[in-house]
Amino acid sequence: MDLDVHLAAIVAGDTRAFGQWMAGAEDSVRLSLRSFATVVDVEAVLQEALLRIWQVAPRFEPDGKPNGLLRLGIRVARNLAISEVRRTRATPVEPTALEIAFEPQAPDPLLRRAIIECRQQLPPKPREALDARLQSAGAQDDAELATSLRMKLNTFLQNFTRARQLLADCLRRKGIVV
Amino acid sequence: MTSEEEDLLVEQVASAYRPPSPDELRYHPAWHDLPAAARVRAFDLSRSLRPLEAALDPEGLSTTARAVLQKLVSARTI
Repeated sequence: MDLDVHLAAIVAGDTRAFGQWMAGAEDSVRLSLRSFATVVDVEAVLQEALLRIWQVAPRFEPDGKPNGLLRLGIRVARNLAISEVRRTRATPVEPTALEIAFEPQAPDPLLRRAIIECRQQLPPKPREALDARLQSAGAQDDAELATSLRMKLNTFLQNFTRARQLLADCLRRKGIVV
Repeated sequence: MTSEEEDLLVEQVASAYRPPSPDELRYHPAWHDLPAAARVRAFDLSRSLRPLEAALDPEGLSTTARAVLQKLVSARTI
C-alpha cells in the first residue's frame, strides 16, 4: 500500500485526505519512536510530528519510491524526539531494527465488525467511559471526562480499563488478538 | 506509588489527550510521575488502543489522528 496516493489532496489542503494518510501512517511513525518511550512523551511528540508533516507536505518532493511522505514523517518524528532528548538532557537512545522497518496499515473490515459487536456487549459504565474517550478524541483530559459522567477520576479510569480488557477478551474469543 | 496507582497513571498517559499549547510541545502531566518501565507500558498500551479506536470510528481514525485534525482546524480558525 502506497500512502502517497493521498499526497495531491493533502497538498491541496484537504484535511480529510490527511486523516486517511494518518490512518495508514500513524502506527509506523509511533513505532519509530519506541526507543524514546522512557525519555520523551511519545504521544506528544507524535502529535506534534503529524502537525509538522501537514505543514511541510506542500514542499515535499517525492523520490519515486512508495510512501515517501511516511518516510519523511518518520524522520520528522525521530528528529523531534532527538531535539526533546537534548532539550531535557535525557540519556540518548539507540534505534532498534524494529523501529526502522515500517508497514502502512490498511483498514480491517473484519476487526471493525468484531469490535462493534464486542462494544455492544460491554456493561453500561465501562461503555460510557470508552465512549467518552472516543468522543473526546484527545480534546479533554480524563478528569474532565470523569466529571461529565459524574464519576470520580479513579472510577472512570477503572471503568475504562475494564472496557479495554472486556473488548480484548471478546475479540480473543473471536480469534482476534490485540 | 502502589501498582494500582501506577496502572491508573499509565491509563491516562496512554490516552490521546495532551494539554493544549499554541507553540510548544506539552507532555501529559502524569507522564512525569511514571518510572521508565511504566512509560514503556504506556507506549505499548497506546499502540494497542489506537487500532481499536480507529475500528470504532466512522472514518477509521484513532483518537490521536482526531486530536491532530482538531488542532489543524483550530489553527486555521485562529
